[in-house]
Amino acid sequence: MTAADVTPENAPESRGVFTPELLGRCISCGFCLPACPTYELTGVETSSPRGRINLMRALEMGVLPDDDPTVNEEASFCLGCRACEPVCPAGVQYGELLEEWRDHLWNGRRRPWKVRPLLWAADSPRRVRAMGLVRRHAGRASEAPGPVNLMLGCFERVLYPRVSRDARKLAAELAVPTAQGCCGALHAHNGELERGNQLARELGEALPGTIVTTSGGCGAHLAGVLGTERVKEFSQWWLAREGSVPEATAAERRVDGRLRIGLQDSCHLRNGLGIWREPRELIARVGEYVELPSAAACCGAAGSYAVVRPKDSARVLDRHLDEIADADLDVIAVVNAGCYRQLQQGVKRRKLRTRVIHIAELLAGERDRAAAI
Amino acid sequence: MAATATLTGLRARLDEIVGRGHVRTDEGALVTFSTDATPLERGRPDAVVFPASTEEVAGVLRFANERGVPVVPRGSGTNLSAGTVPHRGGIVLVLTRMNRVKEVSDAELVAVCEPGVRTIELAQAAAAKGLLFPPDPGSQTTATVGGNVAECAGGLRALKYGVTRDYVLGVQAVLPTGEIIRSGGRLVKDVAGYDLRRLLCGSEGTLAVITEVTLRLVPAPEASGYGMAYFPDLAAAARAVSRVLASGVLPVTLEFLDQVCIGAVEDYAQIGLDTSAGALLIFGQDGNPVVIERDLERMAQACTSEGATSVRIAESPEAASEVLHARRAALPALSRLEPLTLLEDATVPRSRIAEMVDFIQEVAQRHQLKIGTFGHAGDGNLHPTAVLDAADPDAVQRARAAFDEIFARAIELDGTITGEHGIGIAKLRYLERQLGADHVALLRRIKAAFDPNGILNPGKLGS
Repeated sequence: MTAADVTPENAPESRGVFTPELLGRCISCGFCLPACPTYELTGVETSSPRGRINLMRALEMGVLPDDDPTVNEEASFCLGCRACEPVCPAGVQYGELLEEWRDHLWNGRRRPWKVRPLLWAADSPRRVRAMGLVRRHAGRASEAPGPVNLMLGCFERVLYPRVSRDARKLAAELAVPTAQGCCGALHAHNGELERGNQLARELGEALPGTIVTTSGGCGAHLAGVLGTERVKEFSQWWLAREGSVPEATAAERRVDGRLRIGLQDSCHLRNGLGIWREPRELIARVGEYVELPSAAACCGAAGSYAVVRPKDSARVLDRHLDEIADADLDVIAVVNAGCYRQLQQGVKRRKLRTRVIHIAELLAGERDRAAAI
Repeated sequence: MAATATLTGLRARLDEIVGRGHVRTDEGALVTFSTDATPLERGRPDAVVFPASTEEVAGVLRFANERGVPVVPRGSGTNLSAGTVPHRGGIVLVLTRMNRVKEVSDAELVAVCEPGVRTIELAQAAAAKGLLFPPDPGSQTTATVGGNVAECAGGLRALKYGVTRDYVLGVQAVLPTGEIIRSGGRLVKDVAGYDLRRLLCGSEGTLAVITEVTLRLVPAPEASGYGMAYFPDLAAAARAVSRVLASGVLPVTLEFLDQVCIGAVEDYAQIGLDTSAGALLIFGQDGNPVVIERDLERMAQACTSEGATSVRIAESPEAASEVLHARRAALPALSRLEPLTLLEDATVPRSRIAEMVDFIQEVAQRHQLKIGTFGHAGDGNLHPTAVLDAADPDAVQRARAAFDEIFARAIELDGTITGEHGIGIAKLRYLERQLGADHVALLRRIKAAFDPNGILNPGKLGS
C-alpha cells in the first residue's frame, strides 16, 4: 500500500510509535517551512517539519517501514532545534514527536555510532563526576545541596569549567555539590527517551529545591520533566534576582568604549521555554547589544548533532559566522554549552577577532572590572 | 497513476534534464509531496523534480508531454483546494529553486521575479525601496509568488488594493508542450493579443508553468492605523461592515472573526483578545495620517451605531501587527480545537454578508457541526471552517452536506464558491453549478488549446 491508497475508511491500524494526539495536531499548513534551518538549506519539503511529520505518519501507518532510508536520514538530519514550534499556530509539539521518532528508530543498533560514546559517558553520574575531576569547576565534593543549586552539566563541567565558577562568583548562595549527574537531554534527543527522563528525575533528587542551569538545552529538558517552577536558566534566574534596572540608571551608563556584544540564542531555551528577552536585557547592561539577523536560529551545535553530522552542522553555522564577521562584534555571548563549543570552533576556523563568552562569564567579568575602578 | 511502462526511463531522463541531485524518487520523498495544505486529499507522485531555469522546466514538460506523464507544478504547497496534490501520479514540478528577485524598480514601479520567491521576500524587497506589493495572503511567509499568481491569491488588503491579478503586468510561461511564451511585460498599457497573463493568473497550474513574473508595485503608504471592535454576534459585525462601506470610507482592512475563532486565535497568540465576545472586527486604513485618523473615527462610529460592545484604536503599529498576525493564523489555530478542520471560502457581495453569516450558523446547527467563521469581511470573502471531531464517524459527511448547502446559498446570493482558494480537486464538482454547462465547456476547450494531451495538473480546473 502507498500513502495515496490510505483513506479514512481503509486506514490500517496505527502501530503505536507516536502519541496519536501529538501526531494528529499538524494540519499541514506549511507555516513552519521558513523557520526550519534544514528546509532553508535544501528547499526540499522532505527536510521540513511538515515533511517530517508526513514521514512520521507514514511510519505510524506502516506505509513506510522502519528501515526506510529517507525516514532514517530525516530523523537524523533534523537539528531538533524546535524553531518550528513557536511559529506553529496549531500548536504541534514537534520536539516531543522527534523524541518519540528517534526513540523508535534508534533504540538498539540503528543509533548513529558516533553518539554512542557520548551517551555512555553521560549515562552514569559516576562517570560524569570523573570527567569533571580533571577540571576546576565550581563543584565541591563535600557540599550539601541548598535551596538553590547550580547544575554543573556533564560536558560543560569538562569543557567550560569557568562558567560554573563565574556563576558561583556572581551568586554565592548557589550550592554546587559534585554529586550530580547528567540531565538526560542527550539521551532523550538521541533515542533513549525513558533513560533521559529517568536521569532528569535522578538529578532532581540529587539537587532538591531550585535548579539553576547555565545550559539552555539542559534547562528545557529538565523543566520538561521536573517543571518550570523548579528549573531556572541562569540568565532568567539572575535577572529575577537582580530585578529591573531603573531607566535613569540605565541612561547614566557610559556609552563610549562599550563592547559590541551579540547573542546566540539557545534553541530549546527560546523555542522550548520561551526565554530570550532575559539574556538580551542582561547584555545591554554591560555593553552595546547587537541583534544579529540569525540570533534566534540554530547555530548547528544542536546537542550531539555537531558530532554526528559535522558537515551539515558547519553549513548551518556558516551564516552565523558571516553575520558575526559583518557586525564586527567584540563578543558573541552564549547561553548553552553546545553553542559555546560550536561558535568557538567556527570563530577560530574563520580567524575572527570576536570572543565567544558565556553570559555568566560576561557578567562576572563586568563585575570584576567595575570593582577594580 | 501513469502506467509503469510509461515511466520506464523516467528517472534517467529527468536526471539528464535537471541534474541528478535535483530529482527525488525515493518513497519517503514521494510521501512528503503527496499532499499540500488541503485536508483529506492525497496522491503519490512518481517523481519530484526541482528545475533551476525556464529551459529546464521546458525540458521536463516536453518530455512529459511526449510520454503522457502528468505534471503538477508546486511552490511551497500551501494550497487549500488540493491544487498541488498529484492525485493522478506523475511528476511534481517544484519551483522553489527559481527564487531570485531579479529587479525592483522604483523608477518604473515594477518588480521582476522568479516564481519560487516567497511573497514576503518580494514584499520586503519592495519595501526596501519605499514600495508596496499589496497582495498579502495569510500564508505570505511561506507561499511563493508563482503560487500566488497561479491561484490569484487575495489577502487582507484586497478590499482597497485588489488581488494578485491586479498586479500582474507580465508573465513568462512554459506551455505543456514545451514552448516558452511571454505575455505582457513592463507596460501599463499593452493590448497586443488576448490577455493571457490574466488568463494564467488564477489558472491553478492547469494551462502553463509560470517561470517569471513582472509585477506592478505602488508607493508605500506613509502610515497605517488599525482599530478593533467587539460585537455580541457575527451578524452585528457584518451589519457594521456594510455601514462602514456605506460611510464613504474604503478601508485597507476589514477582517472579522466569530467567537470560535477568537478563542482559538487567542489560545495561540495570547495577545489579550476578549474571548467572551461574539465577534471581533478588525478595521484599518493606510495613507495620509490625517485621513487615517478621520477614517478610523468614522469606522469606529459605524461600529458603535451597530451595537459594538467596545471599540478601540490600536495605539501603535506593533500592537496592530500583533492582531493582524493573529488573524492570519486563524485557520491553523482552529485546529487547536480539533485536528480535522474543513475550510471553505464562499464569497458573497458585500451587502449580503449578514444574510450569509446567518445562513452559515443555521446550517451548522442543523447539521450538528461546530463551524468557526472568519474572513475578509470587506470583500464578502468568508472562511467558514468546520472543526470536526475525529471520533465522530460521519462528521466529514455532515460537513460536506453542510458545505453543499453553503455553496448553493452563495450562488443564490450572486456569490461564488471560492473567493481566493481556487477550485483544485476539492470544488471541481460545484463549478458547473455556478458557471453553467456552456461556460464549463468553454473552459475545457481553452484547456485543450493549451494542453492538447492533458498532462498539466489533470483532473482539476478545465478537466
